[in-house]
Amino acid sequence: MSFSRRNFLIATGVAAGSTMALSACSSGNAGGNSASKAPSMDKAEAATITVGTKADSQGPAPEMPGAKKGGTLYTLDQIDFDHLDPAQIYSSYTGAGAVLFLRGLTGYRVDSKGNTTLVGDLATDAGTMKDGGKTWSFTLKDGIKWEDGAVVTIEDVRHTFERLFADFVTEGPRYPQNWLEGGDKYKGPYEGKHLKSIEVSGNTITFRLKEGHADFNYMLAMRGFAIVPKKHDTQKKYDKRPYSCGPYKIESRSIDKSLTLVRNEHWEAGKDPVRNGYPDKIVMQFGYQSLASTDRYIADRGNDQFALSLLNEVASERVQKVMGDAKLKQRVMTQVDTTCFYFPINMTRIKDQKVRQAINWAWPAQQLKQQRGGSQVTETATTIISPLTPGHTDFDLYGKKTKPMGDPEKAKALLKEAGKEGQKLVIAFQQSDKAVKEAVTIKNALEKAGFKVVTKQVDKTTFYSEIGQLDNEFDLFAAGWGPDWPAGYAVIFPCWDGSQISEGGVNWAQLNDTGVNKAIAAASVETDPEKANKAWGEIDRQIMELAACVPDYHPIRNYFYGSKVGGVVWNAGDTAIALGKVFVKA
Amino acid sequence: MFRFLIRRVIGALVILLVISAVTFFLFYAIPRDPARMACGKVCDAELLEQVRVNLGIADPMPVQYWHWLQGIFVGRDYTGIGHCNAPCLGYSFTNSEPVFETIKTDLPTTISLALGAAFFFLIIGVGAGMIAAVKQGTWMDKTASSLSLLGSSLQIYFVGYIAMFFLVQQLGVLDPPSYTPFTENPGAWVSGLLLPWLVLSIIFTANYTRMTRSQLVEQLSEDYVRTARAKGLSGRNVFFRFAWRGAMGPIVTIFGIDMGTLIGGAIITESTFSLQGLGTRAVRAVTDSDLPMLLGVTVVAATAIVFANILVDLVYALIDPRIRLA
Repeated sequence: MSFSRRNFLIATGVAAGSTMALSACSSGNAGGNSASKAPSMDKAEAATITVGTKADSQGPAPEMPGAKKGGTLYTLDQIDFDHLDPAQIYSSYTGAGAVLFLRGLTGYRVDSKGNTTLVGDLATDAGTMKDGGKTWSFTLKDGIKWEDGAVVTIEDVRHTFERLFADFVTEGPRYPQNWLEGGDKYKGPYEGKHLKSIEVSGNTITFRLKEGHADFNYMLAMRGFAIVPKKHDTQKKYDKRPYSCGPYKIESRSIDKSLTLVRNEHWEAGKDPVRNGYPDKIVMQFGYQSLASTDRYIADRGNDQFALSLLNEVASERVQKVMGDAKLKQRVMTQVDTTCFYFPINMTRIKDQKVRQAINWAWPAQQLKQQRGGSQVTETATTIISPLTPGHTDFDLYGKKTKPMGDPEKAKALLKEAGKEGQKLVIAFQQSDKAVKEAVTIKNALEKAGFKVVTKQVDKTTFYSEIGQLDNEFDLFAAGWGPDWPAGYAVIFPCWDGSQISEGGVNWAQLNDTGVNKAIAAASVETDPEKANKAWGEIDRQIMELAACVPDYHPIRNYFYGSKVGGVVWNAGDTAIALGKVFVKA
Repeated sequence: MFRFLIRRVIGALVILLVISAVTFFLFYAIPRDPARMACGKVCDAELLEQVRVNLGIADPMPVQYWHWLQGIFVGRDYTGIGHCNAPCLGYSFTNSEPVFETIKTDLPTTISLALGAAFFFLIIGVGAGMIAAVKQGTWMDKTASSLSLLGSSLQIYFVGYIAMFFLVQQLGVLDPPSYTPFTENPGAWVSGLLLPWLVLSIIFTANYTRMTRSQLVEQLSEDYVRTARAKGLSGRNVFFRFAWRGAMGPIVTIFGIDMGTLIGGAIITESTFSLQGLGTRAVRAVTDSDLPMLLGVTVVAATAIVFANILVDLVYALIDPRIRLA
């Protein structure tokens, strides 16, 4: 896929800072082995990310078998990181790279088998919750140092959260701005005022939220909330050169070309449960299309032997070659993504539930899967919450698995029942060759079921603006969403709660159902994880019974790397390769 | 000669002004919203307006263009960011960096690519053309003509991928294309750029071989060459002092245009070999809707082409005095 930096973020939903994608059965492990079968949701082990103990939060990070210190690690990717100022970082790709120099209050500790736990990164543990999730406290570890040797202070932590309210911060996640008490009136710390709902005492910081959020500590693990030193905060300019308290600091940067990291001598492994920091130097290289990086990994020469990609996957032109070659496949990490691509159905235009259900029944899931490259690159979705995200309940209300080619007869019958035979549907796609082909397939299938379909190609860069308009003239459109942290809330609330309907918002279907809204409100404050997960699964089913969208597919990602790279494991919390654990072989 | 130069430079400045204005206003005609793209995953109307102000795209178009022009000569201040020194070609909010700073980092790659390729295609192309002209009608002439026909019908993206597949992946005789600054490691500079140079030279050589051959053949049949021969000048003297000099005019012209284009950004070559120069920068600026960057790259590329042409005119004038009088 060829996306521009920002298109990629917006268009794919991969922008999610922390979506969760758990290891499928054939995922590469630390030793680089991989099974021969293609991964699928059915075979994926949906591990949960639990909250670790205080001891887990202490560090050092679990060692990787066979790991050695030293050497230079390279990366080969298509695009540069869109931001380096944590407040502006939303993309999981940027977060995956920035983990080496940015640290937040919480983070994900990954062991050599890929087991992921939420722990305190700069905090001594993963936080203490009170008042049903309305109050959260974190205590800062002692003696963590910035790259200049100065100690990270609790004032730095407070400043980090207060600066999120400044007007130059427009691209990062906005949960604290919306959740903290008094957040709606606060304008940032630069006029000398503190936000009263953030209190500091000794080495402890306490956040007071308007409503209970039992997963506030998971949300804080997004790289967007990494700590910024108050003394070195250059506001807008901080994006250019952030300060490090991680194992590496920035030595040089050439935008869109390279980012070179060298050791931060003030970092102590014993205080970091997330990063091992094995290589001496990391050279991140940008500007390589997937085909170019894939060919380099196949050739496996020179520095490319010590390289891996955080974003580039095996190019679609080479999937057969690479995945069909046992030797090459050993160097591929395969992951099912939790991003769900789906077609929201505009509830303000298609008001009849039966018509919406008919669209679902007629959907050509199998044909689309083949078109996209088959089971090695996509998995058909039947629910909104991915099977790998906590809160998922397995159901298939519209026979996607039993009748993957679609059931036009059933759809026809529903249309007849509704008295809407020949119903016109305007379907919008992002302009691309791929979308044109998919549009034809969808049009054919829906017309077979008795709809009259008009397809509209919309420019990639304005697509999300157009579908975000409340009075848009589309009935159905391709969209996608990846949860920002591994929880049902992060999937459901932003896209399906009635309160989120706004101009430019992401409740694209404009669903405002009293039953769904009530259930979301109840699940949001549920502090028992098991009960919460069950509730989110029920809400998913409720939305699908209303047929507010057609779940389309979950992407399967194949990451290729050089023969002298070891310790490649997946961080299910960050939904990215755990770069802090990678080492180079001599 | 001085007046000739002044005239050319003034003409060039007018052209550059027109190009920058056209680019600027055309960009606004495209239905894209840079603000939406610079706004986060959850972007409401208020936030979008804030981004517009931050990006400096809230002012009317002509005002923005005027500020941009001013910046080139006196620099420009950006709220919350600071001063952008002259020549300020704008500030890229996508890259959080003044445009000219970014372009400065792209130029070495592009210039290295252009100069190295020129070295190969000039020597091989002009050399082969000379041999073909001197040995007219022989197997050497026929071989050179046929190969040049083949070369001129090939495309970089085709030859590039084939060459990479065989020379890098299969045989491993060349390194994967990359750019290392000459000052850092001259060996790596050559080994990383050798493949792009060779591929570019295959494409360009063809033109130079054909052009040199046809020009020389024409010149060698001119009356003044026959006169020189009749006066008893040696073959070498006739060839280099008369025919070759006469033939080089058009070749210098083509070379100037080619160099201008290459320095302006060899988009396909850079994409094919994953090199990060002005060409890939331009493509990225378009896809990112990064107007300041796009404008900057366009102006730099146009400047390269326009000034390469002035240089050609000068050289041409030196070679052929009739031009100066025109």
